[in-house]
Amino acid sequence: MGPLIPNGVIGAGWDFVIAILIGIAFGFILEASGFSSSRNLAGVFYGYNFVVLRVFFTALIVAMVGLMYFDFVGWLDLSKIFILPTYLAPMVVGGIIMGFGFVIGGFCPGTSFTGIAIGKLDALFFTIGLYLGIFGFSLAFPLFEGFYNSGSMGNITLTDVTGIPAPYFALAFTVIALAAFWGTMFIEKKVRKNMKQYKF
Amino acid sequence: MSKDKIIDNQSKYINPYLGGVLLGLLILLTIYITGRGLGASGAIKSAVVSTSNTIAPSATQANAYMGQFVSDDHSPMYTWLVFESLGVLLGGLLSGLIFGRVGRFRTDHGPKITAKKRWLLALLGGALFGIGSQFGRGCTSGAALSGSATFAFGGVIVLFGIFGTGYVIAYFFRKLWI
Amino acid sequence: MNKNYIILTILMLVLAVGTLFLRMSNEPKQIDPEELLQEIIQPTRYVTTDQVAKMIIQGDPSLMLIDVRSTDEYIEYTLPGAVNIPLEDLLVEDNLLYLGIPGKKVVFVSNDDIKADQAWVLTKRLGYGSTYVLKGGINCWMQTIIDPQQPEETAAATDFETYSFRKGAQMYFTGAGSDDGGSNQVNVQVQRRQKSNVAAGGC
Repeated sequence: MGPLIPNGVIGAGWDFVIAILIGIAFGFILEASGFSSSRNLAGVFYGYNFVVLRVFFTALIVAMVGLMYFDFVGWLDLSKIFILPTYLAPMVVGGIIMGFGFVIGGFCPGTSFTGIAIGKLDALFFTIGLYLGIFGFSLAFPLFEGFYNSGSMGNITLTDVTGIPAPYFALAFTVIALAAFWGTMFIEKKVRKNMKQYKF
Repeated sequence: MSKDKIIDNQSKYINPYLGGVLLGLLILLTIYITGRGLGASGAIKSAVVSTSNTIAPSATQANAYMGQFVSDDHSPMYTWLVFESLGVLLGGLLSGLIFGRVGRFRTDHGPKITAKKRWLLALLGGALFGIGSQFGRGCTSGAALSGSATFAFGGVIVLFGIFGTGYVIAYFFRKLWI
Repeated sequence: MNKNYIILTILMLVLAVGTLFLRMSNEPKQIDPEELLQEIIQPTRYVTTDQVAKMIIQGDPSLMLIDVRSTDEYIEYTLPGAVNIPLEDLLVEDNLLYLGIPGKKVVFVSNDDIKADQAWVLTKRLGYGSTYVLKGGINCWMQTIIDPQQPEETAAATDFETYSFRKGAQMYFTGAGSDDGGSNQVNVQVQRRQKSNVAAGGC
């Protein structure tokens, strides 16, 4: 049955209405979880606030495991969903650059939008930075066009790469995430004890 | 804004695991409806292309990167991710209003840096994130979260790229935050 | 609070472990026999030679002809723009990429309609939509399009209309003296499905 729009169950005209509704839910969850504050977000790298890890990895394993069940029940045809194409080297480099951006800027794109919504100036500057970064990237694109398109492996999944069925990855991610949740609970307590001046 | 009020806000955040489960279900719903996950940086890309296309159309269409996102039949802003990101802004505002976090303009920064320095760093970090998200074919929400959730190999690479790098370099930037 | 977390942790683990068993009972995926039977009974999967001829002449981009006969037969004669996938190679992964392209109508062609029908059932079982069978196959094509018979004088007016269309089609497909069947290749763009069918571009 699903996905609904690619299968024509819902007309393409509803696309943008649905986009806004999903966006509202997304923004609400991010803001309500505390992602509108850069100090909350950066805390994940310093051990004083693991909200990013908790929300992110809970979402990840719920979605992963959920997809398996959706496929089983027949709600979703996994062969019809969008698989992000893989460009090996550019993605490694992109991930590293984004890692720097995250630690230095304290936001990621989605969270900065919610930051702006409640009046955070640093979120606004981050978004302006995003804009300038992408603009600069476009202008300089001819310089690294070859690299940008290198290492293309197509729309491959972990199963395509390793031959291991998806449920094993879902299970592995779940076990690691759950272990991390329990581990970070203790780390956070310990770090916070030494950080009396911590305020959000 | 007094510190008391800000500390008070802390207790108003929802339980992170509840937030995570809701977000996970939202990803499932999004994939169920649209066949693809969430995203954010794509909207900024659309904004870049469309402003650039308004100011200098010929240069934009000639640009090897932006040119591929320009089409004759509709504005580059008329894409799924732009509407979704508009929703994110509205949703953030809604949550902020409900939990009482919408306030006058303010800046979060570590105790050892000034607000102005924080702005510069946010600008720099944003620029880096913008560049990185183009190479990575998506940002934290699009590539790392939605990509990994659909078991895409590239999504997992970006996920480990972002958080791996974050942990490796966090020590050198600790003065910004603690 | 801690007790709740322990319960939630166990719940999540059980759900995750559960996925391992789901897949085993689920593979391979099959269309419900009842449903398949219903589809087989329906004659809607057949397209006539006239319809196909019309689509080829009009250059209908949604048409995709797949010739499921052997390669030898394909080389000897086939319909313009047809792709050759011998029935025994239908399930090769590369060949499956021709199927399931949004907006494309796949029409299977064989000598009569038996092999094409078999191909159609297979693709149905694999869950592909908009596949069709050329009614009567190449034989019928020869009789109706390449060598149409003039109807009896007492026949209905519609028969004469069909005949005149077929005559025109005959000119189109055999015309300009090039009577050898193999060379009448109309330049039709053959499109293959990408692994994903949702537009990429962004985050």
